Amino acid sequence: MSQVAEEVLVIGGGAAGIQAALDLADMGLKVHVVEKKPSIGGRMAQLDKTFPTNDCALCILAPKMAECSRHPNITLHTYSEVQDVTGSLGNFSVRVLKRPRYVDEGACTGCGDCFRKCPAKVPDEFDMSLRMREAIHMYFLQAVPAVATIDPERCLYLTKGRCGICAKICQAGAVNYDQQSQEIALDVGAIVVAVGFDPFDPAVLKHYGYGRYRNVITSLEYERLISASGPTGGHLVRLSDRGPVKRLGFLQCVGSRSLQHHRFCSSVCCMYASKEAILANEHDPEVRSTIYYTDLRAAGKGFQEYTARAERDYKVTYVRSRVAEIVQDDNENPVICFEDLVSAKPGRDTVDLAVLAISLAPRRGADELATVLGVELDEDNFIKTEPFSPVDTTRPGVFACGYCRGPADIPESVAQASGAAARAAEAIFSAAA
Amino acid sequence: MVSVEEEEIKTFRDLQNEVIVAGLCGKCGGCVSFCSADQLHALEMGEDELPRYVDEEKCLTCGICYMICPVTQDLDAEVQSRFGWEPPIGAHEAIASARARDDQVRRVATDGGVVTALLMYLMDKHLIDAAIVSRRSTAFSRQPMIATTREDLITAAGSHFAGSSHLEELGDRYTTYSPTMSAVRSLQSQYLRHVAMVGTPCQIRTVRKMQTLGILPAHLISYTIGLFCMENFSFDALAREKLEGKLHIDFEDIDKLNIKDDVIISLADGTTIHVPFEDVDDVARPACLACTDFSNEYADLSAGGLGSPDGYTTILMRTEKGSQLYSEALRQGYIEQAGFVGPAELASEKTKMMAKVFAFARRKRERGEARLSDALSL
Repeated sequence: MSQVAEEVLVIGGGAAGIQAALDLADMGLKVHVVEKKPSIGGRMAQLDKTFPTNDCALCILAPKMAECSRHPNITLHTYSEVQDVTGSLGNFSVRVLKRPRYVDEGACTGCGDCFRKCPAKVPDEFDMSLRMREAIHMYFLQAVPAVATIDPERCLYLTKGRCGICAKICQAGAVNYDQQSQEIALDVGAIVVAVGFDPFDPAVLKHYGYGRYRNVITSLEYERLISASGPTGGHLVRLSDRGPVKRLGFLQCVGSRSLQHHRFCSSVCCMYASKEAILANEHDPEVRSTIYYTDLRAAGKGFQEYTARAERDYKVTYVRSRVAEIVQDDNENPVICFEDLVSAKPGRDTVDLAVLAISLAPRRGADELATVLGVELDEDNFIKTEPFSPVDTTRPGVFACGYCRGPADIPESVAQASGAAARAAEAIFSAAA
Repeated sequence: MVSVEEEEIKTFRDLQNEVIVAGLCGKCGGCVSFCSADQLHALEMGEDELPRYVDEEKCLTCGICYMICPVTQDLDAEVQSRFGWEPPIGAHEAIASARARDDQVRRVATDGGVVTALLMYLMDKHLIDAAIVSRRSTAFSRQPMIATTREDLITAAGSHFAGSSHLEELGDRYTTYSPTMSAVRSLQSQYLRHVAMVGTPCQIRTVRKMQTLGILPAHLISYTIGLFCMENFSFDALAREKLEGKLHIDFEDIDKLNIKDDVIISLADGTTIHVPFEDVDDVARPACLACTDFSNEYADLSAGGLGSPDGYTTILMRTEKGSQLYSEALRQGYIEQAGFVGPAELASEKTKMMAKVFAFARRKRERGEARLSDALSL
């Protein structure tokens, strides 16, 4: 038997991937983190606060991101994707494709001169298209690595051969329009998959008017809106007229627990909606929120108390109900039409913003990744695991943690990450023995 | 590090040679607006209203001013395909004759006040935060302005035949409020997020070229309302003298100027003089005589008095956005359509209106093409 590679590949640089990487690196294993986006951080970096403690998400995450980039045993491959995996436990050969940033990662100092002068405007993906960014950009303010990336489809130099402003003003000489994608070969003993989720697109649910009514938004858009680093600097405003928000309605199970869309319960929406309602009241004590729920799921440490506090201290009303549709009045106020399932009476509430607590689903492209990794998915497209080996996939040496293996909140994802890291290390050490 | 091949990029130097010196610059202000909005500050509008270097050292030779100039042929094919341009007058879905319902708007407007009414509708419904228009500063000159209230719109109502470097204003405004990246963010989110622009064909064309490239500050412009435009005039002392001699009038007596089938000059004493276009060519801006676009072919909506009864505006709906704007403003009572007796009369009026627009468009195109070929053969 050939020698076992004492290196591990972690796919996905979100909360779970970061934790798995740090644990493995601390055990003395070399870790390669492959992240598709220009920065690690994942979905958690987009969140304003976390439940049930209302800690600032990035304040918890940023130090871990920094630790990841500094750790001598961790190599970050950002803006990269796993193309191919061969071999078996102890000896996987992995081919990674690193896309060109058109910026030299080693030379860029992250000063921001380039995007201050870049003329091409593009909707900002990280801010859920609620603001425009430039074609050359930092994925977000606290991005790791803190280097710029050029969007090749919108860059005037790459599309038209004109402009070149960023290259001309970059004092570090970091802009390189000729950069090519790069293939990286890795030999690893084990793989940890932590690719997270994609939010459900509620535009298909025509009766909620998302995409048609400006004041109907998704929960992830809400997170950016209320975040101090978001497009409005943390001012919660109506998107139609940027007027103040006093009445909020949260619609639960949007795309979840549905026979047409996702059958599973996303498990975090009751809690994140409660958190979002609490935050609105913390920003402005006059805000009144109503949460239109199917079943209130608060099954976690401190969760029941959290919803009780929301009701008691933050004026949040929970209504067990089914929303039939959202219509809009003459002032672009969403009008939520629902049936109260306790009184069995119909109701209509006019709000300033209606927030759709959208389902969190396996990544689009989960099938392709599963094929590349040679692992099975379950009937909902999550990575298949067994109850007594919850972080083992169907392929020995490949482990999974976080939302990609099933609905989970942040603390649970992080716990699974530590579990997957321990299993991966154990697998390598036993193979080597 | 890669060298940007500078020799291939046409810059403001080329714009000076090919457009400005050649007398083809329409003074739309687009090049300066871009340069200011991007905080490059290499260009400014000179006292003669022509763009010029304010500091050539600051020019990064990006070539964007050259690309977006409405006179250069750069990007033509892309702009045409993006906005569904087709001969002879560009995309158009419908034509109508209408006027503002508001008396105050009608009193100050040149024709039916539809443009002002549409802007009011957009503002009331929070579909725009501001409109780029121009305001009469003296009887014969106009200043660009960014209107943010109904009152501003009333001040700006009425025709624009003296032209103004509209786009420059947006560039300036954008810069003034955005010394740093964070200010740009706040500008975008809180200040000028959605803007409508009313402009001449050259101005709208520049905006469309900028939008095709996806560059600032045109990314803020969400509605474009184009004015029919035969030509703009520059009323300097010499031009005034020429015109006064030719028409036997005193400039001070002119109350209002309008262009429909010909040039209509209303005097303070109530008399009206009709002047054929040929007679005012002397005072028309030379660049206008080389322009081929009468009907504002790239706007969401084009508007002008031509073809409508007195007191009404002809509206050409070109894009889906433009059609929607018109029909919503109509439905919500901001404007009303000219009352024709029956559907047959309405149809025949529409045919007549279209025929007039086509005729003027052809006339301007022929005039422009002739001038351009003269300019080239020189």
